[in-house]
Amino acid sequence: MRLHFNQYLPTISFLLIPLLIYWNPSWLSLMGYQAYWPIFWLLPWALIHGPFKSMLLGLLLGFILDTINADLYTQIPGLMICGFWFGKVGSLNRFNYSPIQFGVTAAIGCLICDVIYFSQIVIKLLLENSPLWFFFHGVQIIFAQVLLTSLLAPFFCKWLYFFFNKKYKLKI
Amino acid sequence: MSVRLSKTFIFRDLYYHLSKPFWPGEYQQEILRKSINQELNIKLNQLERDNLRLRRLLDLQNFSEANKLNSSVISRNTGSWWKKILLNKGSQNGVSIGDAVIGPGGLIGIIENTSKLTSSVQLLTSPSSKVGVWNQRANLHGLLIGVGTKTPKLLFYSKNLDIQIGDYILSSPASTILPPNIPIGIIQSIDNESQPNTIATVQLTGKPEAIDWVQIFRIRF
Repeated sequence: MRLHFNQYLPTISFLLIPLLIYWNPSWLSLMGYQAYWPIFWLLPWALIHGPFKSMLLGLLLGFILDTINADLYTQIPGLMICGFWFGKVGSLNRFNYSPIQFGVTAAIGCLICDVIYFSQIVIKLLLENSPLWFFFHGVQIIFAQVLLTSLLAPFFCKWLYFFFNKKYKLKI
Repeated sequence: MSVRLSKTFIFRDLYYHLSKPFWPGEYQQEILRKSINQELNIKLNQLERDNLRLRRLLDLQNFSEANKLNSSVISRNTGSWWKKILLNKGSQNGVSIGDAVIGPGGLIGIIENTSKLTSSVQLLTSPSSKVGVWNQRANLHGLLIGVGTKTPKLLFYSKNLDIQIGDYILSSPASTILPPNIPIGIIQSIDNESQPNTIATVQLTGKPEAIDWVQIFRIRF
Protein backbone atom coordinates (compact mmCIF):
# COMPACT_ATOMS: atom_id res chain seq x y z
CA MET A 1 0.00 0.00 0.00
CA ARG A 2 1.39 3.36 -0.97
CA LEU A 3 0.89 6.15 1.52
CA HIS A 4 1.16 9.86 0.96
CA PHE A 5 3.71 10.70 3.57
CA ASN A 6 2.84 14.40 3.34
CA GLN A 7 -0.65 13.67 4.59
CA TYR A 8 0.69 12.65 7.98
CA LEU A 9 3.79 14.82 8.11
CA PRO A 10 2.09 17.88 9.73
CA THR A 11 0.74 15.67 12.54
CA ILE A 12 4.00 13.77 12.99
CA SER A 13 6.11 16.93 12.96
CA PHE A 14 3.63 18.62 15.33
CA LEU A 15 4.06 15.77 17.81
CA LEU A 16 7.82 16.00 17.42
CA ILE A 17 7.95 19.59 18.76
CA PRO A 18 7.54 18.66 22.47
CA LEU A 19 10.05 15.82 22.03
CA LEU A 20 12.51 18.24 20.43
CA ILE A 21 12.06 20.62 23.36
CA TYR A 22 12.80 17.78 25.80
CA TRP A 23 15.76 16.62 23.74
CA ASN A 24 17.12 20.18 23.73
CA PRO A 25 20.16 19.55 21.52
CA SER A 26 22.99 21.52 23.08
CA TRP A 27 25.06 21.46 19.87
CA LEU A 28 22.36 23.52 18.18
CA SER A 29 22.47 26.45 20.58
CA LEU A 30 23.79 30.00 20.65
CA MET A 31 25.38 31.33 23.87
CA GLY A 32 23.81 28.28 25.57
CA TYR A 33 20.27 29.12 24.40
CA GLN A 34 18.04 27.15 22.07
CA ALA A 35 16.08 28.36 19.08
CA TYR A 36 12.32 28.76 19.56
CA TRP A 37 11.31 25.45 17.98
CA PRO A 38 7.49 25.92 17.69
CA ILE A 39 8.01 28.79 15.21
CA PHE A 40 9.67 26.44 12.71
CA TRP A 41 6.47 24.39 12.56
CA LEU A 42 3.91 27.16 12.91
CA LEU A 43 5.32 29.43 10.19
CA PRO A 44 5.14 27.02 7.19
CA TRP A 45 1.82 25.62 8.39
CA ALA A 46 0.30 29.10 8.75
CA LEU A 47 1.58 30.19 5.33
CA ILE A 48 -0.49 27.39 3.77
CA HIS A 49 -3.59 27.34 5.99
CA GLY A 50 -4.29 31.03 6.66
CA PRO A 51 -4.69 33.17 9.80
CA PHE A 52 -7.69 31.70 11.63
CA LYS A 53 -6.78 28.02 11.50
CA SER A 54 -3.23 28.97 12.44
CA MET A 55 -4.39 31.02 15.41
CA LEU A 56 -6.26 27.96 16.69
CA LEU A 57 -3.19 25.80 16.10
CA GLY A 58 -1.16 28.43 17.98
CA LEU A 59 -3.58 27.98 20.90
CA LEU A 60 -3.18 24.20 20.79
CA LEU A 61 0.59 24.40 20.46
CA GLY A 62 0.82 26.88 23.32
CA PHE A 63 -1.38 24.67 25.46
CA ILE A 64 0.91 21.67 24.91
CA LEU A 65 4.06 23.69 25.55
CA ASP A 66 2.59 25.15 28.73
CA THR A 67 1.98 21.65 30.05
CA ILE A 68 5.63 20.82 29.35
CA ASN A 69 7.00 23.76 31.27
CA ALA A 70 4.23 23.82 33.87
CA ASP A 71 4.98 27.24 35.31
CA LEU A 72 2.95 30.36 35.95
CA TYR A 73 3.63 31.90 32.58
CA THR A 74 1.98 31.03 29.29
CA GLN A 75 3.14 30.84 25.67
CA ILE A 76 -0.43 30.78 24.30
CA PRO A 77 -0.89 34.53 23.51
CA GLY A 78 2.44 34.78 21.69
CA LEU A 79 1.82 31.69 19.57
CA MET A 80 -1.78 32.74 18.77
CA ILE A 81 -0.61 36.19 17.61
CA CYS A 82 2.18 34.57 15.58
CA GLY A 83 -0.22 32.05 14.02
CA PHE A 84 -2.60 34.81 12.98
CA TRP A 85 0.17 37.06 11.66
CA PHE A 86 1.99 34.28 9.80
CA GLY A 87 -1.33 33.33 8.17
CA LYS A 88 -1.89 36.94 7.09
CA VAL A 89 1.65 37.12 5.71
CA GLY A 90 1.02 33.95 3.71
CA SER A 91 -2.06 35.43 2.10
CA LEU A 92 -0.05 38.41 0.83
CA ASN A 93 1.16 38.12 -2.72
CA ARG A 94 4.42 39.81 -1.77
CA PHE A 95 5.65 36.82 0.26
CA ASN A 96 7.84 34.94 -2.22
CA TYR A 97 9.14 32.21 0.17
CA SER A 98 12.77 33.25 -0.06
CA PRO A 99 15.17 32.20 2.74
CA ILE A 100 15.53 35.82 3.88
CA GLN A 101 11.77 36.24 4.17
CA PHE A 102 11.50 33.02 6.18
CA GLY A 103 14.35 34.17 8.43
CA VAL A 104 12.98 37.66 9.06
CA THR A 105 9.39 36.46 9.62
CA ALA A 106 10.53 33.75 12.05
CA ALA A 107 12.73 36.27 13.89
CA ILE A 108 9.82 38.70 14.34
CA GLY A 109 7.56 35.83 15.46
CA CYS A 110 10.15 34.67 17.97
CA LEU A 111 10.57 38.23 19.23
CA ILE A 112 6.79 38.58 19.75
CA CYS A 113 6.60 35.29 21.71
CA ASP A 114 9.70 36.05 23.80
CA VAL A 115 8.67 39.62 24.65
CA ILE A 116 5.19 38.47 25.74
CA TYR A 117 6.69 35.69 27.87
CA PHE A 118 9.33 37.99 29.34
CA SER A 119 6.70 40.64 30.16
CA GLN A 120 4.80 38.09 32.22
CA ILE A 121 7.93 37.30 34.26
CA VAL A 122 8.71 41.01 34.76
CA ILE A 123 5.11 41.78 35.82
CA LYS A 124 5.17 38.91 38.34
CA LEU A 125 8.50 40.08 39.78
CA LEU A 126 7.19 43.65 40.04
CA LEU A 127 4.00 42.48 41.75
CA GLU A 128 6.08 40.49 44.24
CA ASN A 129 8.36 43.50 44.81
CA SER A 130 11.25 41.24 43.84
CA PRO A 131 14.38 42.88 42.41
CA LEU A 132 14.63 42.80 38.61
CA TRP A 133 17.97 40.96 38.52
CA PHE A 134 16.54 38.72 35.83
CA PHE A 135 16.04 41.64 33.42
CA PHE A 136 19.45 41.64 31.71
CA HIS A 137 19.50 37.88 31.49
CA GLY A 138 16.03 37.97 29.88
CA VAL A 139 17.22 40.46 27.26
CA GLN A 140 20.21 38.19 26.56
CA ILE A 141 17.89 35.17 26.09
CA ILE A 142 15.67 37.13 23.68
CA PHE A 143 18.66 38.30 21.66
CA ALA A 144 20.19 34.81 21.36
CA GLN A 145 16.89 33.08 20.65
CA VAL A 146 15.76 35.54 17.99
CA LEU A 147 19.12 35.41 16.24
CA LEU A 148 19.33 31.62 16.26
CA THR A 149 15.70 31.21 15.16
CA SER A 150 16.22 33.58 12.24
CA LEU A 151 19.37 31.72 11.17
CA LEU A 152 17.76 28.27 11.27
CA ALA A 153 14.33 29.26 9.94
CA PRO A 154 15.29 29.36 6.24
CA PHE A 155 16.34 25.73 6.47
CA PHE A 156 13.62 24.25 8.70
CA CYS A 157 10.69 26.39 7.54
CA LYS A 158 11.39 26.06 3.84
CA TRP A 159 11.83 22.31 4.19
CA LEU A 160 8.59 21.90 6.16
CA TYR A 161 6.73 24.27 3.81
CA PHE A 162 7.81 22.09 0.90
CA PHE A 163 6.48 18.94 2.60
CA PHE A 164 3.27 20.53 3.97
CA ASN A 165 2.36 21.86 0.54
CA LYS A 166 -0.08 19.53 -1.20
CA LYS A 167 1.50 20.25 -4.57
CA TYR A 168 4.44 18.07 -3.61
CA LYS A 169 3.59 14.54 -2.67
CA LEU A 170 6.22 12.16 -1.40
CA LYS A 171 5.08 8.56 -1.77
CA ILE A 172 6.37 5.82 0.52
CA MET B 1 80.19 23.37 73.62
CA SER B 2 78.63 25.22 70.68
CA VAL B 3 81.48 24.12 68.39
CA ARG B 4 80.93 20.50 69.40
CA LEU B 5 77.23 20.76 68.72
CA SER B 6 77.74 22.38 65.33
CA LYS B 7 80.19 19.60 64.30
CA THR B 8 77.51 16.96 64.98
CA PHE B 9 75.20 18.76 62.58
CA ILE B 10 77.59 17.80 59.79
CA PHE B 11 77.05 14.11 60.60
CA ARG B 12 73.35 14.64 60.83
CA ASP B 13 73.25 16.28 57.40
CA LEU B 14 75.49 13.56 56.02
CA TYR B 15 73.13 10.92 57.38
CA TYR B 16 70.29 12.82 55.67
CA HIS B 17 71.95 12.41 52.26
CA LEU B 18 73.04 8.81 52.83
CA SER B 19 69.65 7.63 54.04
CA LYS B 20 67.66 9.53 51.40
CA PRO B 21 67.34 6.59 48.93
CA PHE B 22 65.92 4.41 51.71
CA TRP B 23 63.23 6.79 52.90
CA PRO B 24 59.60 5.60 52.91
CA GLY B 25 58.51 5.91 49.30
CA GLU B 26 55.20 6.47 47.50
CA TYR B 27 53.90 3.07 48.60
CA GLN B 28 54.25 3.89 52.30
CA GLN B 29 52.69 7.30 51.67
CA GLU B 30 49.72 5.63 50.02
CA ILE B 31 49.29 3.25 52.96
CA LEU B 32 49.43 6.22 55.30
CA ARG B 33 46.90 8.17 53.18
CA LYS B 34 44.54 5.20 53.08
CA SER B 35 44.69 4.73 56.83
CA ILE B 36 44.06 8.46 57.36
CA ASN B 37 41.08 8.28 54.99
CA GLN B 38 39.73 5.27 56.86
CA GLU B 39 40.14 7.08 60.15
CA LEU B 40 38.36 10.16 58.77
CA ASN B 41 35.55 8.04 57.34
CA ILE B 42 35.02 6.36 60.69
CA LYS B 43 34.96 9.78 62.37
CA LEU B 44 32.55 11.12 59.73
CA ASN B 45 30.17 8.18 60.15
CA GLN B 46 30.29 8.59 63.89
CA LEU B 47 29.59 12.33 63.63
CA GLU B 48 26.74 11.73 61.18
CA ARG B 49 25.19 9.22 63.56
CA ASP B 50 25.59 11.64 66.47
CA ASN B 51 24.12 14.44 64.39
CA LEU B 52 21.13 12.30 63.41
CA ARG B 53 20.55 11.26 67.04
CA LEU B 54 20.74 14.87 68.27
CA ARG B 55 18.44 16.07 65.49
CA ARG B 56 15.92 13.42 66.50
CA LEU B 57 16.17 14.61 70.11
CA LEU B 58 15.54 18.19 68.96
CA ASP B 59 12.74 17.01 66.69
CA LEU B 60 14.42 18.61 63.64
CA GLN B 61 14.24 17.41 60.05
CA ASN B 62 16.49 14.42 59.51
CA PHE B 63 17.38 12.41 56.48
CA SER B 64 18.58 8.86 56.44
CA GLU B 65 19.92 6.79 53.55
CA ALA B 66 16.47 5.25 53.11
CA ASN B 67 15.11 8.63 52.01
CA LYS B 68 17.63 8.94 49.19
CA LEU B 69 16.77 7.91 45.66
CA ASN B 70 19.21 7.81 42.76
CA SER B 71 17.96 9.15 39.46
CA SER B 72 19.36 10.03 36.06
CA VAL B 73 18.83 13.24 34.12
CA ILE B 74 16.84 12.52 30.95
CA SER B 75 16.32 16.08 29.75
CA ARG B 76 18.24 19.23 30.47
CA ASN B 77 16.75 22.64 29.84
CA THR B 78 19.28 24.80 31.64
CA GLY B 79 19.36 27.46 28.93
CA SER B 80 16.40 29.55 27.80
CA TRP B 81 13.65 30.74 30.17
CA TRP B 82 13.19 27.43 31.89
CA LYS B 83 16.01 26.37 34.18
CA LYS B 84 14.84 22.83 34.59
CA ILE B 85 15.99 19.25 34.36
CA LEU B 86 13.84 16.18 33.95
CA LEU B 87 14.54 13.04 36.02
CA ASN B 88 13.62 9.43 35.31
CA LYS B 89 11.90 8.88 38.66
CA GLY B 90 8.35 10.00 39.33
CA SER B 91 5.43 9.61 41.71
CA GLN B 92 5.52 5.86 41.11
CA ASN B 93 8.91 5.83 42.89
CA GLY B 94 7.65 7.98 45.75
CA VAL B 95 8.99 11.31 44.49
CA SER B 96 6.83 14.24 45.51
CA ILE B 97 6.75 18.01 44.99
CA GLY B 98 9.25 19.85 47.20
CA ASP B 99 11.79 17.01 47.45
CA ALA B 100 15.38 18.22 47.34
CA VAL B 101 17.63 17.24 44.43
CA ILE B 102 21.33 16.89 45.09
CA GLY B 103 24.05 16.39 42.52
CA PRO B 104 27.81 16.00 42.84
CA GLY B 105 28.85 19.18 44.62
CA GLY B 106 25.63 19.95 46.44
CA LEU B 107 22.01 21.02 46.18
CA ILE B 108 20.90 21.81 42.62
CA GLY B 109 17.16 22.29 42.93
CA ILE B 110 13.73 21.27 44.17
CA ILE B 111 11.17 18.94 42.60
CA GLU B 112 8.60 21.20 40.96
CA ASN B 113 6.15 18.66 39.60
CA THR B 114 5.93 14.94 39.03
CA SER B 115 4.30 12.58 36.59
CA LYS B 116 4.00 8.84 37.13
CA LEU B 117 7.43 8.12 35.63
CA THR B 118 9.27 11.45 35.63
CA SER B 119 9.81 14.52 37.75
CA SER B 120 10.80 18.06 36.84
CA VAL B 121 13.39 19.92 38.90
CA GLN B 122 13.37 23.66 39.31
CA LEU B 123 17.04 24.60 39.45
CA LEU B 124 18.47 27.08 41.94
CA THR B 125 19.41 29.25 38.94
CA SER B 126 15.76 29.62 37.86
CA PRO B 127 14.28 33.11 38.33
CA SER B 128 11.38 31.46 40.20
CA SER B 129 13.69 29.81 42.74
CA LYS B 130 13.92 31.18 46.29
CA VAL B 131 15.64 29.09 48.95
CA GLY B 132 16.57 29.87 52.56
CA VAL B 133 20.29 29.26 53.12
CA TRP B 134 22.87 29.53 55.86
CA ASN B 135 26.32 31.09 55.95
CA GLN B 136 28.28 28.54 57.94
CA ARG B 137 31.16 30.77 59.10
CA ALA B 138 29.12 33.80 60.11
CA ASN B 139 26.07 31.81 61.32
CA LEU B 140 23.75 33.94 59.22
CA HIS B 141 20.58 33.09 57.36
CA GLY B 142 19.90 34.50 53.91
CA LEU B 143 17.67 34.04 50.89
CA LEU B 144 19.15 32.57 47.71
CA ILE B 145 17.33 33.95 44.65
CA GLY B 146 17.80 32.59 41.13
CA VAL B 147 18.34 35.23 38.45
CA GLY B 148 18.65 33.08 35.36
CA THR B 149 22.45 33.09 35.30
CA LYS B 150 24.77 30.43 36.74
CA THR B 151 25.39 32.61 39.79
CA PRO B 152 22.29 33.25 41.94
CA LYS B 153 22.05 36.22 44.31
CA LEU B 154 22.14 35.85 48.07
CA LEU B 155 20.14 38.38 50.04
CA PHE B 156 20.83 39.17 53.69
CA TYR B 157 18.24 41.38 55.34
CA SER B 158 20.68 43.69 57.12
CA LYS B 159 23.87 45.67 56.53
CA ASN B 160 27.45 45.48 57.78
CA LEU B 161 27.46 41.74 58.23
CA ASP B 162 30.49 39.58 58.78
CA ILE B 163 30.39 37.85 55.40
CA GLN B 164 33.43 37.28 53.25
CA ILE B 165 34.25 36.12 49.75
CA GLY B 166 34.84 32.37 49.91
CA ASP B 167 32.29 31.70 52.68
CA TYR B 168 30.45 28.40 52.29
CA ILE B 169 26.70 28.49 51.81
CA LEU B 170 24.71 25.51 53.07
CA SER B 171 21.10 24.61 53.56
CA SER B 172 19.93 25.74 56.96
CA PRO B 173 20.49 23.24 59.80
CA ALA B 174 17.04 24.14 61.11
CA SER B 175 15.30 23.88 57.74
CA THR B 176 12.08 21.91 57.55
CA ILE B 177 11.94 22.16 53.76
CA LEU B 178 15.45 21.13 52.72
CA PRO B 179 17.82 18.50 54.09
CA PRO B 180 20.10 20.20 56.64
CA ASN B 181 23.71 21.19 56.01
CA ILE B 182 23.79 20.38 52.30
CA PRO B 183 26.49 22.39 50.46
CA ILE B 184 25.01 24.89 48.03
CA GLY B 185 27.78 27.25 46.96
CA ILE B 186 30.55 29.68 47.74
CA ILE B 187 30.25 33.46 47.99
CA GLN B 188 31.91 34.90 44.89
CA SER B 189 31.39 38.63 45.39
CA ILE B 190 29.67 40.98 47.82
CA ASP B 191 27.82 44.15 46.92
CA ASN B 192 28.17 46.46 49.91
CA GLU B 193 26.67 49.43 48.06
CA SER B 194 23.16 47.98 47.93
CA GLN B 195 20.63 49.43 50.37
CA PRO B 196 19.13 48.36 52.75
CA ASN B 197 20.23 44.75 52.26
CA THR B 198 23.52 43.02 51.70
CA ILE B 199 23.62 41.21 48.38
CA ALA B 200 26.19 38.60 47.47
CA THR B 201 26.73 36.55 44.34
CA VAL B 202 27.06 32.81 44.87
CA GLN B 203 28.96 30.32 42.75
CA LEU B 204 27.02 27.05 43.00
CA THR B 205 29.03 23.93 43.83
CA GLY B 206 26.60 21.63 41.96
CA LYS B 207 26.69 22.05 38.16
CA PRO B 208 23.30 21.11 36.71
CA GLU B 209 24.44 21.71 33.13
CA ALA B 210 27.03 18.94 33.42
CA ILE B 211 25.65 16.22 35.68
CA ASP B 212 23.95 13.01 34.59
CA TRP B 213 23.05 11.48 37.93
CA VAL B 214 21.40 13.06 40.96
CA GLN B 215 20.02 12.01 44.32
CA ILE B 216 16.48 12.86 45.32
CA PHE B 217 15.99 13.41 49.06
CA ARG B 218 12.43 12.39 49.73
CA ILE B 219 11.11 14.66 52.45
CA ARG B 220 8.92 12.87 54.95
CA PHE B 221 7.26 14.54 57.92
